[in-house]
Amino acid sequence: MKWVAPRSGFDEVFDGSGEARAHYAALISILESFTKEDVERRERLQQLTLRNQGITFTVYGEKDGLERIFPFDFVPRIIPAPEWKSLQDGLVQRITTLNLFLADVYHEQKCLKDRVIPAEVVLSRKEYKRPLLGLMPARKIFTHVVGTDIIRNDRGEYLVLEDNCRVPSGVSYVLENRNLLSRVFPEFLGAYPVRPIKDYPTLLLETLRFVAPRRGQNPVVVILSPGIHNSAYFEHSFLAREMGVPLVEGRDLLVEGNHLFMRRTHGKRQVDVIYRRIDDDFLDPLAFRRDSLLGVPGLLNVYREGNVALANAPGAGVADDKSVYAYMPQLIKYYLGEDALLPQVPTYLGFKKDDFKYIAEHLDQLVVKTTGDAGGYGMLMGPFAAAKERETYLATMKKNPGNYIAQPLVELSTHPTHIGGRFEPRRVDLRPFILYGDRIRVLPGGLTRVALREGSYVVNSSQGGGSKDTWVLAPREG
Amino acid sequence: MILSRVADGLYWMGRYLERAENTARLLLVTEELSTEVLGLDEALAREEWKDLRAVFPGFADDEAPARTLTGLAAASLFGLSIDPENRYSVFYSLKKARDNARSVREALTLEVFINLNETYRELETQNRRQLADPAAFRSALQSTQRGIMSTVGAIEHTLTRDAGWLFLKLGEALERVFRTVVILRVKLPALVAAEPKIDLPLFYSRWRSLLRGLSCLENYRRVFAARLEPIDVLQFVLFDPQTPRSVRYGASLVKEHLDRISSGSDMSQPARIVGKLAAELSYQGHELIREGQILPFLDHVLAELGRTHDALSTVYFGT
Repeated sequence: MKWVAPRSGFDEVFDGSGEARAHYAALISILESFTKEDVERRERLQQLTLRNQGITFTVYGEKDGLERIFPFDFVPRIIPAPEWKSLQDGLVQRITTLNLFLADVYHEQKCLKDRVIPAEVVLSRKEYKRPLLGLMPARKIFTHVVGTDIIRNDRGEYLVLEDNCRVPSGVSYVLENRNLLSRVFPEFLGAYPVRPIKDYPTLLLETLRFVAPRRGQNPVVVILSPGIHNSAYFEHSFLAREMGVPLVEGRDLLVEGNHLFMRRTHGKRQVDVIYRRIDDDFLDPLAFRRDSLLGVPGLLNVYREGNVALANAPGAGVADDKSVYAYMPQLIKYYLGEDALLPQVPTYLGFKKDDFKYIAEHLDQLVVKTTGDAGGYGMLMGPFAAAKERETYLATMKKNPGNYIAQPLVELSTHPTHIGGRFEPRRVDLRPFILYGDRIRVLPGGLTRVALREGSYVVNSSQGGGSKDTWVLAPREG
Repeated sequence: MILSRVADGLYWMGRYLERAENTARLLLVTEELSTEVLGLDEALAREEWKDLRAVFPGFADDEAPARTLTGLAAASLFGLSIDPENRYSVFYSLKKARDNARSVREALTLEVFINLNETYRELETQNRRQLADPAAFRSALQSTQRGIMSTVGAIEHTLTRDAGWLFLKLGEALERVFRTVVILRVKLPALVAAEPKIDLPLFYSRWRSLLRGLSCLENYRRVFAARLEPIDVLQFVLFDPQTPRSVRYGASLVKEHLDRISSGSDMSQPARIVGKLAAELSYQGHELIREGQILPFLDHVLAELGRTHDALSTVYFGT
């Protein structure tokens, strides 16, 4: 087995001198006991399993919305218990703040009056839903499910890259990756005290039931999906199966007398909680986008009346806006009186004159993103872009500076990844999932995405990324 | 009680799965008969392929009429096996079955989905050039047929017998009886008109092939033994109460599923339509055949099955 040493940055497995970190030693010795043929045979089995089980995602823009297998790398990422503990504390602090922030900007707007964050940063965002001003969701929870993207800089520090407060996806691959790895390389798991993650669907269902308007009864929870052509359809279907709840599309639902029902073969049935996997704008053609065919006319009124709960709450997207992100340390201080436990990436804001000037002058050193987009769409990787490309991008930016933010390029950590018969370093990030119900729970694991192309920084599945199983180790006893 | 859309998806999954198997089987049977009679009677071989194309239409109108028998056979084989554009190809039906399964996967089990998905993926890897070899063609289609059978087995062994299961089986039953009637409607005029005296072995080959196309040759022999009298074959495929692909059995099965779906309440509109049809089939028999009334009767059955489908779509799927 050949290990290719990392050239720069922080490697998850090998330290600066090329020695394996202690928590990877056992894994490496198991891997080295395999022959090349063993590994190849196992990898073929892995591919076959992925294909036959239909563990896929859909790529937009290709004919028929092509289904692709989400590439999986069998070398797991291992996170020791103390590291996880500090990550977890930082994430709890963040999701608490995000919720307080949302409750504030849709009610008293104290943080705006106190100028903790400029009002226009919040109010001008299209994710800020003015019609929802004054509306408090059940149990005061806006973000029931959050996926926060974490990266590690060249010193190995964990940094928050962004929070996803709308419809974060990827958790199905977290669970399937574990299933797959334990089937294909059963030897690995036996050597480590890996914390289990299988109960996520149960915890998700509890989280969703917690906000049901009809208490005391068995609330009806459904997952609302845009349908089979959505890139995350596999996950919608997966979670419906795992939770044992109906997977519905907009056309399955109807509003009658300010209550929400689903159409069944023998009459209708009232729905209490929607775990919605469609964007705000498509939820209700009467309230938001009129041309939406995915939503349910009148849904927002039912929600307003408190007769149905929506998770995550509409309007929550403003909290994960990339400009709002820049103010998170101040917001944490403001609401909790604490310093942020997790550092984040320095961010230049396009709407600030000085910042924009800096961005324009240092475009070749910065990563520029549009505030609204996700999934790696619409971004400029300054250091790797041609001068011409940077010019064009800058010209577009000038038309609407407030729509952009820029960050220095963070040298993501690398992780050995099996590519072409060798273990080569590839850049990774981490998306842990946090549930906010009767209490806040962080799933001990997460989606480690890996940029499979050599030298690439982009880990998104839509841009050629894959994923790894992510192990959080249980604390040692005693 | 399930979502109307899910019921709709399961119903069509059942229909397409059954259609895929029907098409695969008839392709195999037709290819075999055509090979058997080719040297003796080329016109007959050609007839067989034309019949198959009438049972499963959907060939592009602009397709150049295949002049030679080989051309006709090759075009039909490709068109009905893996042509993704042909609405009746095995591949198209499997794809539709799988699309429907994907859209209602939460109503299925992992076993059902994996079997279906594997079968689909396997056929997907076949291409026109590979299938040009008759042996490769047979083995590919037989393998698909086995895959469909194991999917059906997984449905049988792992799915809960709830409303979803009933809609799936309803789709399967309706597709099956409908296809049986279409096959008979296409084949009978020539079969009945054929003069048995001229070439006896060939004459019987065609009737045998009809039974095999409905996968009930062995079943027939158990009732009437090896002798293939046209009137017995007709009696069997139309009115036998036990063989799964007779018209009578099929209509009764559709009725049974619809009765269970509408359990408790009054008989539903679709159950009423197919119930009358099933009753007719139970009381009809030889006299229809002797009076030469079979073809109009088959047209009547097709119309009633169509009405049943329309009625159940309206009542249960809201479409």
